Amino acid sequence: MKHVTAFVFGFNNYATEIIDNIIGEYSQVYLFSLDKKDEEHKKYNIKFFDLDDEWTEVENLITTESSIAFCALEDDAMNIFLTISLRASFDDLAIVSLAKNKESANKLEIAGANKVIPIVKTTADIISNMMNRPIATKVLHNILYEKSDLKIAQIIVQNAKGFNGEFPADIDWSRYHGIIVLSIIHKDMSKEFIYSSQTRHKALVDGDILVVTGYEADIAAFEKTIGRRHYVNWGNWSW
Amino acid sequence: MNLFKRLIVDSAYTVHASKSYQKRKRFFYNLLENDDNRYKKYFDTAMIVLIFTSIAILIREVKHELPFHLVFFNSYIISLIFFIEYILRFWVYGSVSQAIIKRYEYDTYLDREFKLHKAFRNIVHFKLTYVFSVRAIIDLLAVLPFFHELRLLRVFILFRVFKLFRYTRSFQTMASVLATKKFEFFTLAMFASIVVFVSSILIYVMEANNANSPIDSLYEAFYWSIVTISTVGYGDMVPLSDEGRFVAILVILAGISVLAFTTSLFVSAFTEKLDEIREVKTIEDISKINKFYIICGYQEVAREVVLALSEKHKHLIILDEDAGRVENAKRDGFIALNYNPGSIESYEKLHVDINTQVETILCLMDDDVENVYTALTVRSINKEIPILALLINESNRKKLTYAGVNEIIYPQELVGMIVKELVGRPVAFEAIHELRSENSNINIHEIIITKRVLENYILVKELENQRYRLVLLGIYKKHTGHFYFNPLDDTLLEDGDYILMIGNKVFLEEFEMHLNKKNES
Repeated sequence: MKHVTAFVFGFNNYATEIIDNIIGEYSQVYLFSLDKKDEEHKKYNIKFFDLDDEWTEVENLITTESSIAFCALEDDAMNIFLTISLRASFDDLAIVSLAKNKESANKLEIAGANKVIPIVKTTADIISNMMNRPIATKVLHNILYEKSDLKIAQIIVQNAKGFNGEFPADIDWSRYHGIIVLSIIHKDMSKEFIYSSQTRHKALVDGDILVVTGYEADIAAFEKTIGRRHYVNWGNWSW
Repeated sequence: MNLFKRLIVDSAYTVHASKSYQKRKRFFYNLLENDDNRYKKYFDTAMIVLIFTSIAILIREVKHELPFHLVFFNSYIISLIFFIEYILRFWVYGSVSQAIIKRYEYDTYLDREFKLHKAFRNIVHFKLTYVFSVRAIIDLLAVLPFFHELRLLRVFILFRVFKLFRYTRSFQTMASVLATKKFEFFTLAMFASIVVFVSSILIYVMEANNANSPIDSLYEAFYWSIVTISTVGYGDMVPLSDEGRFVAILVILAGISVLAFTTSLFVSAFTEKLDEIREVKTIEDISKINKFYIICGYQEVAREVVLALSEKHKHLIILDEDAGRVENAKRDGFIALNYNPGSIESYEKLHVDINTQVETILCLMDDDVENVYTALTVRSINKEIPILALLINESNRKKLTYAGVNEIIYPQELVGMIVKELVGRPVAFEAIHELRSENSNINIHEIIITKRVLENYILVKELENQRYRLVLLGIYKKHTGHFYFNPLDDTLLEDGDYILMIGNKVFLEEFEMHLNKKNES
C-alpha cells in the first residue's frame, strides 16, 4: 500500500525542508512541534505534542500501513526517545530519523528507525565526493535530484519473454533503447549490478525491477517495451 | 650637478634597470639567503661537505704527511670557494645602485643639490654592517687558511666549523631560542663573573702564601674558580687552608645555583618556543607539498570531510583559530595550524602559492558569518581558487555567493532532497547511493583521457568497456564543459576528456591499466 499520510516531528530547518520536498507525495502531512508557541505559525499547520504525554491524538491519526513518520527533533536524545516511543506504539510504522552523528545514528537504528540519515556524515560524504570525483558526483547528483534532463527510474519487467531468455549482462541495452541499465532488483529483493556474474547466468523474469537512467523520452519508450514504471510496494519495503 | 655625479647617477639607473644584472643578483641572493629557494639546500649541502672535508684534512695532517694535492685542495681550492661565497654575500647584501638612486631622488624632490657623499656614506654603512656581522667575520676567518704558510693561521680552519651555523637550520633555531632569554643569560653571566672574580681573589689571598698549596698565582686562582663554579672539579688544585676551604664551600654552593639557573633557562626557553618551532617546521613541510586542500575550521562536518579525504591520500591543511580544535586535529593525525582562516596574514605565513599548490579551500565552520568572512579573505588574495562553503542558514546563501564561493553545501537542503528520493524512488536512490559510496563494490570512476590513452584509443567503441563488465555512463568534454550521456560508438575521444565508468572496483582498476598500457601490436 502506498503511504498517504506523513508525520513530521520537530519544527526546524530540517523539518521544513522535508515538508517542502514531500508535500506532493502525500495526501496529508502533519507537523508536530514540542513548542506550543509554534502552533501560531502562519505558513505551517503545526500541532503541539509532548513526549511525556499519552499520544492519543497522534495515535488516532496514524494508520500503520499507510503512514510514514519523520523524526527531526533538533536534540538527538529527544529524537531517539521519540523514535523508540513511535516504535513502541506502532510495530510496523515506517520511521525515518535524522541523526547528527554516528553515535546517535546507531542508537536510532537500535530504537527501531527504518532509515537513519546521519546529517554530518551525509554532508561530509557529499563534500568529499565532490573533491574526489567532481564530475561523477555532479552527474549523479543531477540524475538523482533531476537537476538535468537525465532521469533515473525503476521499471518493473512485465514482458520478460521479449528478451528471448537472454541474460541481462548480454543485452545491449543502450543500443536498442538509448538508456543505461544500472542494476536489477530480483523478485526476492536481491540487488545485482547489471554486469555482475549473476546477471550472466540468470535470465530476466516478469516482476524483476530494472534501475535505469536516461532521457525521459527514452525511459518512456523503454517502459512501453518491457513493462511499467515501478512504484514502491510499501508492504515489502525495508531499508 | 657635475659630470662625475651625473655619471654615477646614470650608472646607478642603468644598473638598476638592467634585467640581466638584477636577475643574476636575485639568483645569487636566493641561492645564498632564501630558504624557500629549491637550489639552496643543494648549495648548503655542498658547503657542509667542503667544511667536513677541510676538518678531516686538518685532523689527518696532525700526525701524517699529506700528499700535495690534498694540501693544495684544502688551502687554496676550498679557501677560494669560501672567498667567492664571501664576496657574493657582500655583493647581494643591499643595493648600491638603489642607495644612490634613493638619495638622488630624495635630494631632487627637496630641490637640493645631489649629495653623493651621503649616498656613499649610506652604502659604506650597510656594507660595513654586513662585514662586521658575526657570520661574515666567521666567513672571513674561514678563508684565512689560504695563507697556510703561516702555521698559526691553519687553526682558522676550525672557523669553518662555525660556518655550519649558516647552513644548518637547527643551529639557527637553537640560537634564536636562546636569544629570547638574552637578559636572563646576561644576568647569570654577571653573577657568575662576580663570583669567579671575588673567589679568585679570595682563594689567591688565602692560598698563595702557603708553600704547599698548588694555587700560587692569580691565574691559577682564576682557573680553580672556574673549575669549581662549573661543578667540574678536576681535583688537580685544592685549597689546603681552612679559609681556602671555606671559600671553596661558597664557590661550590654558588656553582650549584649557577648550574641550576642555566639549566632552567635552557628548559624554559625551549618550552616557551616549542610551539613556535613546531609551527615553523609544519610550515616548512607544507611548502614542500605539491597539491593540498585547505580546510577552514575543524568542527563536526570538517572532521568527517578530513577523515574521508585523508582515506583517499589527499593532503590537507587545517586552519582553525580555536586552539582546542587544532589540538583535536593534531591528535587525529592531521596537519593543523592555530591560524585564523579569515585573516590574510594566515595565508601569508603559510608561504604557499595558492594558485599552484592549493586545490580547493573548504570553509566548513558552523557559522555563516565566519564562512562568509573567510571566503571574502580568500577572494581578496586570489580570484581563481575554488571555494566550497557550508551554509548553515538559508537566508545567508546569497551572501556566500557574493563572497565568491563556488560551491555551497546546505545540509538541510540535502536532507530534504534525500528524503524526497527515499520516499519516491528508494531503489533508485539506493543504487545511486551505492555508486557514490566508497565502501561499495560497485563504483563509479572518472578516468582521464590522456595523450598516452589516445595513442591506442580514439573512438568510444575501441574502449572495450563491456569486456571488463563496465558501463560507460558518459563523457565529460573538457573543451566544451558538457557531459555527453551514453555516447555513440563513433564519438571521438580527446585529450583531457573524462569518461565515467561504472562497475566493480577490481575491473575498473584493470580497465584503467588496460587503457594506459602501450599497444604491443
